[in-house]
Amino acid sequence: MKSIRSSCLPLCLLAFAMMSAMAIAQAAAPAAAATPPPPSASSAELKDAAGKAPATADLAKGDPGGTLTGTINDVPVSDAKAGLTLPDVASQVGQNKIGLNFTWTLVCGFLVMFMQAGFAMVEAGLCRVKNANHTYMMNFFVYGCGLLSYWLIGFAIQMGGAAGNANLGGLQPLAGEHPLSLFGKTWGIFGQSGMFLSGHAYDVGVMVIFLFEMVFMDTALTIVTGACAERWKFITFSVSSVLMGAFTYPLFGNWAWGSGWLSQLGSNVGLGKGYCDFAGSGVVHAVGGITALAVALIVGPRIGKFNKDGSSNPIIGHDMSAVLIGCFILAFGWFGFNPGSTLGASANGNLRIGSIAVNTMLAGCTGTFGALLFMWGFKGKPDASMSANGLLAGLVAITAPSGFVSPVNSAIIGLIAGVLVCLSVTFIENVLKVDDPVGAISVHGTNGLWGVLSVGLFADGTSNYGGSWNGVTGSVTGLFYGDASQLAAQLVGISTLLGFVFTFSFLLNMALEYFIGHRVSAETELAGLDIPEMGQLGYPEFVFRAEAEIFTHAPRDFAVA
Amino acid sequence: MAANTGQGRSFATFLVGLTVGCYGIASFSSGLGKLAFVAGAAILIGSLFGFLKLKSLEGKPAQKAVSGSMKLVGAFLAALGWIVTLVGVHLVDSTGGRITFALVGIALSLVGIIGVLPAAFNKNAIWKT
Repeated sequence: MKSIRSSCLPLCLLAFAMMSAMAIAQAAAPAAAATPPPPSASSAELKDAAGKAPATADLAKGDPGGTLTGTINDVPVSDAKAGLTLPDVASQVGQNKIGLNFTWTLVCGFLVMFMQAGFAMVEAGLCRVKNANHTYMMNFFVYGCGLLSYWLIGFAIQMGGAAGNANLGGLQPLAGEHPLSLFGKTWGIFGQSGMFLSGHAYDVGVMVIFLFEMVFMDTALTIVTGACAERWKFITFSVSSVLMGAFTYPLFGNWAWGSGWLSQLGSNVGLGKGYCDFAGSGVVHAVGGITALAVALIVGPRIGKFNKDGSSNPIIGHDMSAVLIGCFILAFGWFGFNPGSTLGASANGNLRIGSIAVNTMLAGCTGTFGALLFMWGFKGKPDASMSANGLLAGLVAITAPSGFVSPVNSAIIGLIAGVLVCLSVTFIENVLKVDDPVGAISVHGTNGLWGVLSVGLFADGTSNYGGSWNGVTGSVTGLFYGDASQLAAQLVGISTLLGFVFTFSFLLNMALEYFIGHRVSAETELAGLDIPEMGQLGYPEFVFRAEAEIFTHAPRDFAVA
Repeated sequence: MAANTGQGRSFATFLVGLTVGCYGIASFSSGLGKLAFVAGAAILIGSLFGFLKLKSLEGKPAQKAVSGSMKLVGAFLAALGWIVTLVGVHLVDSTGGRITFALVGIALSLVGIIGVLPAAFNKNAIWKT
């Protein structure tokens, strides 16, 4: 055992050093080739091209090779008398760009929506069978709670001032950011346009951004259900989720993505390109993970989780196959999460989607290796649930930097995340004595913060999304590539997540503790939440195996009749 | 008692209050908007008291009371860390100075979040009984 430990660590360090060296070597990329001169087209040339297009008779014969379908004749003509003109062609090119970006963003949003299924399987699989229906139902209903509150007010708070996105046609109806003047600068505080998606917000571009941002928000909400599983009242979960979708998430989302003050740190006070979070390590995952910590503190550990001396007991989930399949669903959905965050596939540097997708894959892979090797080397077994969490940790960590870093750096970020999640789970359980059945706080909170930090370290300055980011000219560049001020912006973001998001979530949920109470009764908890809370077992035909005594008796003072 | 009809009705009332209140905010410039906002807020508050009435009917959860002042101290420290970071951004111009202030702010927040609050919640934890 000792020899495994002693050989594993140097090997990991060697691999880390090799990847770091490759990252530095990649910093000096070759210059781009000279661009060809722009094409020209006259009216005569357009008419000539129209004349050469295949006739209707040719098309009627069928086009098995696909060489005749989609020609100049398919470009709409604004004036039939004048025929096809250059403005007609230019309009069609513009609409094609926006159409491509709409399609890309919507399809990626659909992928992210499917992640809810993955979360449901992972969380329910890691819980005991007597709570399966309750855990699945929380993951199911959080979608409705989040969507409703986000449509009512959350979207307006987050994106109500986010006009100006060229990828989606400008989003001009969303031009209602509420400003605050402080220290001689104007800062965005919250958006004001788009409530109920009515009025001017009844707009094709606004619908696309609403769908995409909504599924992101719902991902954050579903993180909390994992950390509080097996003892959270369904009613309190429902109200808490509605409020998080309406206020907590949208506020931080606005500050980072909706023209809010964090995104203005670059233009207002010269901190890099402002707070940069490409796809949401901070906005989605850290907000979810930190809120999960706040609620898990309030709701307390499950009966039997800790012994009198403070040592913890493992509470094994009922379905590891669901956990691992759920993880693959999540990894699949992440291809919508990260590459989709370009909000387009055409123009403004959006062709980087390929590298973003590969970065996502790599970080998930090295995250799995980090956790699996850590557990194997230090605990003796390649633990399945921790390996699954390693995959997710790598994906969470690469979410913020995926658009700004190289593949080698992605691998490093993922590897660190995989080890970090193991250390964090141990720390939260054994030192803080916080019970997190699925490791959500570590996967999403700890690694969300690591992802935000890694932008400030590893961003290599090669991305170019239209020549600027957050209104500051140039590419996002981290400390290792020469810009320490970007690291400062990221640290301000982390401080805001810890200081504002945690406090806000904690106080909000303390209020709910007063009015509703977060935790089910001891009697309900011991019986399992499926029947008392949901009225139906998750697996009615299963014969439950008797649990260990520590999980079947309420502590003294809470004796169940 | 677990989930019951009272909870379902109070939750429906809560959602109606939120919807009406949001409509009021969306059209606050009109008289109807202001009226809707007030009505929505009243319905929301009513639903919370509905929840409160039901709470006492439920069984005892497996947790003990936690010192309110320690919870506030933890939350205050977490928020104070954020304020320190923000003040640092405006107080100093150098990147190094801003990073230092941010790190101090983060450390202060962490003292509140993973130092004070878990200790407060674990002081009378059920697993100690």
